[in-house]
Amino acid sequence: MECGELLKKLSDIRAVTGRENMATEKIAELFREYCDDVYVDAFYNVIGIKKGQAEKPCNVLVTAHYDEIGLIVTGIEDSGFLRFSAAGGVDAKAIGAMEVTVHGKEDLFGVIGVKPPHLISPEDKDKGIKMEDMRIDIGFGGEKAKELVSIGDMVSFNSPARELMNNRVAGKSMDNRSGVAALIEILKELQRLKHDDNVYVVATVQEELGLIGAICATYNIKADLGIVIDVCHGDMPDAPSDEAFPLGKGVAVAIGPIISRKHTKECMKLAKEENIPYQIDPEAGDTGTEAAVHAVAREGIPVILLSIPSKYMHTTVEMVSVNDVVSTGKLAARYIAGRAKE
Amino acid sequence: MFEIINKLTRTFGPSGNEGNVAVLISEMLKGKVDEIKTDALGNLICIKKGSGKKIMLAAHMDEIGVIVSYIDDKGFLRFGGVGGINPFVILGQRVVFENGTVGVIWYEENIDNIKNIKLEKMYIDIGAKSVKEAEELVNVGDMAVFEAGTVLQNGRIISKAMDNRIGCAILIKMALNEPKTDNEIYYVFTVQEEVGLRGARTAAFGIVPDMALAVDVTTTGDTPECKPMSVSIGNGPTIKIKDRSVIAHPEIKDRLIKCAKEENIPHQFEILMQGGTDAGSIHTTAGGIPSGGVSIPTRNIHNTAEIVDMKDVENAVKLLEAFVH
Repeated sequence: MECGELLKKLSDIRAVTGRENMATEKIAELFREYCDDVYVDAFYNVIGIKKGQAEKPCNVLVTAHYDEIGLIVTGIEDSGFLRFSAAGGVDAKAIGAMEVTVHGKEDLFGVIGVKPPHLISPEDKDKGIKMEDMRIDIGFGGEKAKELVSIGDMVSFNSPARELMNNRVAGKSMDNRSGVAALIEILKELQRLKHDDNVYVVATVQEELGLIGAICATYNIKADLGIVIDVCHGDMPDAPSDEAFPLGKGVAVAIGPIISRKHTKECMKLAKEENIPYQIDPEAGDTGTEAAVHAVAREGIPVILLSIPSKYMHTTVEMVSVNDVVSTGKLAARYIAGRAKE
Repeated sequence: MFEIINKLTRTFGPSGNEGNVAVLISEMLKGKVDEIKTDALGNLICIKKGSGKKIMLAAHMDEIGVIVSYIDDKGFLRFGGVGGINPFVILGQRVVFENGTVGVIWYEENIDNIKNIKLEKMYIDIGAKSVKEAEELVNVGDMAVFEAGTVLQNGRIISKAMDNRIGCAILIKMALNEPKTDNEIYYVFTVQEEVGLRGARTAAFGIVPDMALAVDVTTTGDTPECKPMSVSIGNGPTIKIKDRSVIAHPEIKDRLIKCAKEENIPHQFEILMQGGTDAGSIHTTAGGIPSGGVSIPTRNIHNTAEIVDMKDVENAVKLLEAFVH
């Protein structure tokens, strides 16, 4: 599948953080085409293995999370309206009037109703709204709603991925299905390249809840090198320029204290040699990504962090450039295949 | 059951000083389990051997309290919180140290607005006339817990340290009942939950169970003008969906729901917006341990008078026995 199509397909998969079991098989299916073995662990991490050709191969672990932010039902009112809170970092300002799917006994269409402007008092006009004051309306009254929906049911956003001009795609889950798309790009690329090392590509769970899937995967798979693929902020109007990266200018390669200096340097050198576009992403802190987990897993895994610039992160219109996804996959695969033996 | 709870809640055991509670529990369970041991951090691990799955049930022994940070010239004690301490809740409360020394918490009265009160503007008065007198009773680093009796009234229990001696009481009652099962049950009484879910992490790493449950308390939505939450005391123990530290593993959550339905045990679903439980540290240990939780709806958590309903406690025992079966 061509990368843009793949990206759209992946973004439309629903896997709300903590309930990724709703989509595990779909991800596994995509991996199967390119891997020697695919399995799912106890937490629904999807692990694809591509064996290396060396006699004593090293293990390279590449992770990208496949959970998405969403909502969780916290109460069902007698009138049938659903109370909810966030699963992952959801901004209340960005979800008013959204269409959603409530994953109850069956998938139910719902809307997040907001008060019409006519009924908002002048003093409340410019005020924000809190999530605890919002409700999901699924159309049913209380009795039927309580029959179909339970407290704890997950809710995902309805925002089908669309292709825009200039090879860009927008959808609800570019964070981090674009990373999962890059995993598949890596696998495709590795089919053409010889590689000594065993490559474990892992679509991880519960990143949005605290990097949980990566904590499990980095313990269970003893890796000699880690590569994390996630999104970084894309450049957009009024974004701080030092924290945002233009779309279409290539993969953002992180430099920072928890990142392996050696591997990152070599990776950038390779990008230059192979004419793969990249940008430099200075990360002074722990990056907030799974790289923080790799770095201190077991005896410590040297880690590279590759990020795909995404505009409007944690909204339903996250936007990435297909070219950046391709360059991320290409750089990671060629680094794995070409990396010098220690 | 009330006797067990009463003994537990009256025992001194702030985070890091759970020894007395561990001794009490091991005395209660002697002869009722196959093995009792304590790990390096102080977790008390009581094992009922079996050939089936390894199931870990965790309840933390520690309670919130205060720690002396400085003794001033006049013998007043400055202190910090051990666990989540709210300055408004502790104002005017009595505290008691392990050696029986009693103190009263008060504050610097020249504060402009009581709203701005912080722990560093508060002190403990133990009646000492000088630093020397104070130091005969208390040292910097000593911890104290709140002093408050335990009462059973209208089927409800009011006590300090219900968080989480009630969880300990449930595991004790269950172990004493000796539920029939082939599974290997680890009744684990953990340390230092209130300061970062620490004991449960090392205990889980030592055991590596197939699944784990944290048995703890949860907030409710049944008091006047409180934040909405679909949990009330008396309506059954809660099956944890999510808190700040964990989202319950789907298989664990579903197993609990199935048990509750089959055994006709009243239950509620818990989405706890604040706070975590031992399940939070257990589930990310040793490559991932499917975990969930059963909680007792509790009013006024981290107050000196927490309230639970006895029926919820009894139903929690039933639910856990069904779960391990």
